[in-house]
Amino acid sequence: MTLNSGTIQPRPVFDVLRRYQMMVLLASLVVAATILQPSFLAPRNIRDVLTQAAPLGMLVLGQTLVILVSGLDLSVASLMATVAVLATAFNATSDAMIPVIFLVAVAFSAVVGLINGLLVTKRNVSPFLATLAMMTVLQGVRFAYTQGAPAGSLPAGFRWLGTGSVLGLPVNLLAFLLIFAVLSFILHKTVYGRMIYMTGGNPRSAELVGVSSATVTIACYVICSSLAGIGGLFLVGFVGTVDNWVGRGYELDSIVAAVIGGVALSGGSGTLAGATLGTLILVVLFNITIILGFPIQAQLVIKGVIVILAAALFARANEKRT
Amino acid sequence: MRTAGPRRFRISEPAILVLAGIIVAMIVFGALASDRFASVKNATNVLEQAAPLGFAALGQMLVVVSGGIDLSIGAIVAVSSVLLAGTVNGSGTLMMPMLVAVLSLGAAIGALNGVITLRTGVHPLIVTLGMSSILNGLVLLYTLQPVGKAPVWFEEFAFGRILGMPMAGVVMLGASALVALFLRYHPSGRSIYALGGNREAARLSGIPIDRTTILAYAASGFLAALAGAYFVSRTGVGDPRVGDMMTLASITPVVVGGAVLGGGRGRVLGTLLGVLMVSLLNNLLNYLSVSTFYQWVIQGLIIIAAVAIFVDRSKRL
Repeated sequence: MTLNSGTIQPRPVFDVLRRYQMMVLLASLVVAATILQPSFLAPRNIRDVLTQAAPLGMLVLGQTLVILVSGLDLSVASLMATVAVLATAFNATSDAMIPVIFLVAVAFSAVVGLINGLLVTKRNVSPFLATLAMMTVLQGVRFAYTQGAPAGSLPAGFRWLGTGSVLGLPVNLLAFLLIFAVLSFILHKTVYGRMIYMTGGNPRSAELVGVSSATVTIACYVICSSLAGIGGLFLVGFVGTVDNWVGRGYELDSIVAAVIGGVALSGGSGTLAGATLGTLILVVLFNITIILGFPIQAQLVIKGVIVILAAALFARANEKRT
Repeated sequence: MRTAGPRRFRISEPAILVLAGIIVAMIVFGALASDRFASVKNATNVLEQAAPLGFAALGQMLVVVSGGIDLSIGAIVAVSSVLLAGTVNGSGTLMMPMLVAVLSLGAAIGALNGVITLRTGVHPLIVTLGMSSILNGLVLLYTLQPVGKAPVWFEEFAFGRILGMPMAGVVMLGASALVALFLRYHPSGRSIYALGGNREAARLSGIPIDRTTILAYAASGFLAALAGAYFVSRTGVGDPRVGDMMTLASITPVVVGGAVLGGGRGRVLGTLLGVLMVSLLNNLLNYLSVSTFYQWVIQGLIIIAAVAIFVDRSKRL
C-alpha cells in the first residue's frame, strides 16, 4: 500500500478481469441455485432477492467510499436503526411528510458522518474506534429515547418505498440504481473521484499534488452516513415495522460485500460495480440457504467461510501483481 | 524508540496517569454520592465482575500489541461456555476434563486465526470477523437457548473467596501478572512488541514471525475461553448470547490503557486499569440508577475522549 503507484493508475485489464471473475462467481451461484430449486428463477423470487438487496446495496456504496480512503464505518447499521426510530418520532400519517422525514434523516446522518470524519482526520482516531464508539453512542441514544420499545408510526407511503414497484421494477431498486449511477459518475468520471483514489492510495502524495485528503475523507464519511440514513428508511419500508435493531449486522455485511467485491481494505483500490456484485453474491447466498431449508443460523457460517475465502483470493491476486 | 515497550517501569505514561486519575475521581465521586459505594463489599463486587472483561481484554491486548486485532473473542466466549455447560451437564467428574478441553479448544481456534492470517495475508480484522461469524453460526445451530448445567462446586470460580478476595478476581490478577512478566522478560514476549513495532525489521532481526503471531492469537483464544468458563460458573448454564458484547468490550480497556491499534505499544498495567475503569464506571452508574441505555452513550463518549485526546496516535489500523 505504501509507494505502490500501481494502486493509483487505472488498470483496465485487471479491473475487467476482476469484474469478470465476480460475474462468473455470481452466475455459477445462480445456476447452482436454479438446479437446487428451479423456483429460484421465478420472477417473484428474483424480485424478492433484488428488493432485499437494495437497502444493503445503498449501504455498501457508502462503505466502499469510506474503505477507498483507507477507512471503515462500523456505525452504519446503528445509524440505520436510529434513523428509523427518528422517522417514527414524527408520528406522521400523511404521505406529504415523507420528504420532510427524508430531509431530517439525511441531515441527521450527515452530521453523524461529519463527526466520524472529523475524528478520523482532525484527531487522527483510528476509523475502527471512532465509528465503533459512534455505534455505541447511537445505540444508547436510540434505546434511551424509545425506552427499549419503539412506538410511533410511519406514513403508509413508506411501505410503498420499501416494497412497491414502478413499471414492474421495485421502487427501492430504482432508488439504488439512481444513487449508484450518480456515485459511479462522480467516482470514475470526475476529478473528485480521482481525489478519492489518490487519498486512499497514498495520502501524502495526494497532499503534494494539492488534494486536501482530510476534506476528501470527511466527504466520504458524510456520504456513507447519509446513504446509511437513506438505506435505513428504505429498509424500514421493506421490513414494515420499526424496532431498535433494524439492520442489525449490516455493518459487517456491508464490509463483507465490499471485500467480496474486490475492494481492498488498505484503501485506494476497488470499484462500486465490484462492491455491488459483492452485495448480490452475498444476498443470493443467503437466499440459497433459505431455499435449501437450512436454518437461518447456517447463513452465519456460510458468510464467515465466504468472506475469508474471498479476501484470501484477492490478497493472493494483489501479491502477484506487486 | 517508540517501540521500546516496557523495558523499565515507567509509570509516567500519560494514558496510565490519566486512567489512574479518572479512577480516583470516580471513587471520590461515588463515595460522596452513595454511602454504600465505597465499601469493601462493593470493591469485592467490582473485582469479581471485572474478571471476564479482564480475561478478554488481556488476550485482546496481546494481539493488538503484535499488530493485529481479534474480533472473534465474543464468539469464542460463546462457544466455550455453551460447549462446557452442554457437555458437562451437571456431571462432577466431567467438569475438569471438559474445562481443560474447552480451554485448549479456545487456544486452538485462536491459533487457527493466526495461521489463516499468516498463510493468506488477509487482514486480521476480516479473518477474525469471518471466524466470529462461523463460530456464532455453529453455536446457534447447536442451541438457541441457554443449555446444560455446571456442578454446584464449579460456582466457586465465580463466587469463591481466597483470603477474602473474590477467586475470579484473583485469577484475573494472577493471569495479568503472568502476562506482564512474560511480555517483559521472555524472549517470545519481547518478540510480540518487536513484531508489532515493525514487522519487517523484526523479520530481518531473525524474530520468528509465524510462531510469535500464532502465540498471540492462541493466548487470546485461551483467555476468551476462560472468560466463557467464568460465565458458566457464574450462571450455571451455557448461554449462546453471552459473548455478544464481549468482542467490542474487550477493545475499550486496551486502547484506553494506552495500547495503539497497529501494534508495538501497550502495557498490562494500562489494560488492567482500563478494565478497572470500565467496571467501576458500570458499577457507579448502577449505584446512581443510570439506565443501561445512557451507560452505552457514556461508554462510547469515553472511548472517543480517550483515543482522541490522550493516546499516542502515530499508528492506525
